[in-house]
Amino acid sequence: MPERGRQYLILADEDLISLVEAADAEAFATLYDRHSRAAFSLAYRMMGERQASEDLTQDAFLKVWRGASSYRAERGSVRTWILSIVHNRGIDQIRSQASRRRTQEKIEASAPRSQPSEAFAETLRNSQREQVREALNTLPPEQLKILELAYFSGYTHVEISDLLRLPLGTVKGRMRLGLKKIRDYFESRDAAVPR
Amino acid sequence: MSEMNNERFEDLKDAYVLGALPEEERRSFENYLAAHPERQAEIDELGAVASLLAFSPQEQEPSPELRSRVMEVVEAEAEPRRVRGRSTFARVGDFLSVRSLALGAAALLVIGLLSWNVLLQGQVQDLQGQVEDAQNQVKNLQGQVADAQAQQSKTIELKGSWAEQGATAEVASMQGNEIVLVARNMPSVPEDRTCQIWVIKGDVPEPSGLFQPDGNGTATPITNSIKKADVIAVTVEPAGGSEQPTSDPVLLAEL
Repeated sequence: MPERGRQYLILADEDLISLVEAADAEAFATLYDRHSRAAFSLAYRMMGERQASEDLTQDAFLKVWRGASSYRAERGSVRTWILSIVHNRGIDQIRSQASRRRTQEKIEASAPRSQPSEAFAETLRNSQREQVREALNTLPPEQLKILELAYFSGYTHVEISDLLRLPLGTVKGRMRLGLKKIRDYFESRDAAVPR
Repeated sequence: MSEMNNERFEDLKDAYVLGALPEEERRSFENYLAAHPERQAEIDELGAVASLLAFSPQEQEPSPELRSRVMEVVEAEAEPRRVRGRSTFARVGDFLSVRSLALGAAALLVIGLLSWNVLLQGQVQDLQGQVEDAQNQVKNLQGQVADAQAQQSKTIELKGSWAEQGATAEVASMQGNEIVLVARNMPSVPEDRTCQIWVIKGDVPEPSGLFQPDGNGTATPITNSIKKADVIAVTVEPAGGSEQPTSDPVLLAEL
């Protein structure tokens, strides 16, 4: 690896973003190498197949490249910002197409699961991931299901209400309780919610 | 849909941070948020909790080909962007930094002169000549800065709902061909949204720059020519921008 490339490896994400803003392709490559796996994992969870997930990840990283100036450090980490771009673009894409996956989920939605969520069953690698997994495991399955349908599958609260045949107030209530429970998990350990 | 108020805001904020509001309701929520910036921190905090879900999926490895495809685009765009990035502001910044350097150099030279006056009288005149050169250079650079500022004279004011709330935005022409949008007193936008500039020719909007409003004002280069444009508009879009506007303009100027 060239000397300059090695220097980038020790820079913080916030420093790299400043360089990306100045059109530094090598700084961008470093950011890509750090966060592409998490971004692709989220994209895959939302889109359900590799090609669409790669397209979404590519789209999101090009947004990072072209819109680095819109990053605001006070609102969260670079990693969270990148994942929020993946999430927002993913939601837009899911909502703009009649997805076969949604139909499939509609069938699965009413079926009980043996575990809170298969997506969270695998042992996760880093401590933040592990903490998040533990926090999500504290949620009752009916709350987790609603958070997942909203966050990963792009359903609106009204659509979830129709899908699960629940009153809209119940859906909103479970969203509120689910998020509160995640926050409580970190607060009970005197830990800040990762940002 | 019922009107947004504090009670409704409370009712919808969890769905909002999860991205689970229908488009119209989301826009209404964000307009309320823009009008009540004191609620932004609460939404940021709740949004941080929701965004933890992004860390939870089972890990998947993207293909090396994806990296190659992304880097191919990035490397192709890097050089033109670097050239564009050296905007008038950068050049003015260069002038100012050169001026500072020149002033610093002049100050050092004056100190040097005092010392050399004692030790090496014979060289004093040469050094004074250098000081004069540096001072002349400063005068020239000050002139160039004044010229650049004087050429920022053509401005077009944008109107719209945000202007009615006290925001001011102007399209300014710098040195005849550099165009920037200067915005002040803009309402804040949520973490996952950004302001996007559109140059509209006929009924075709071209994405022309992104900016995040802040309390100090922003100056954003407009990346498309406005020569044959009919309208310049600003909308609030998802972070990273959109290919097409997804919301009504908050600022707008007909050319």
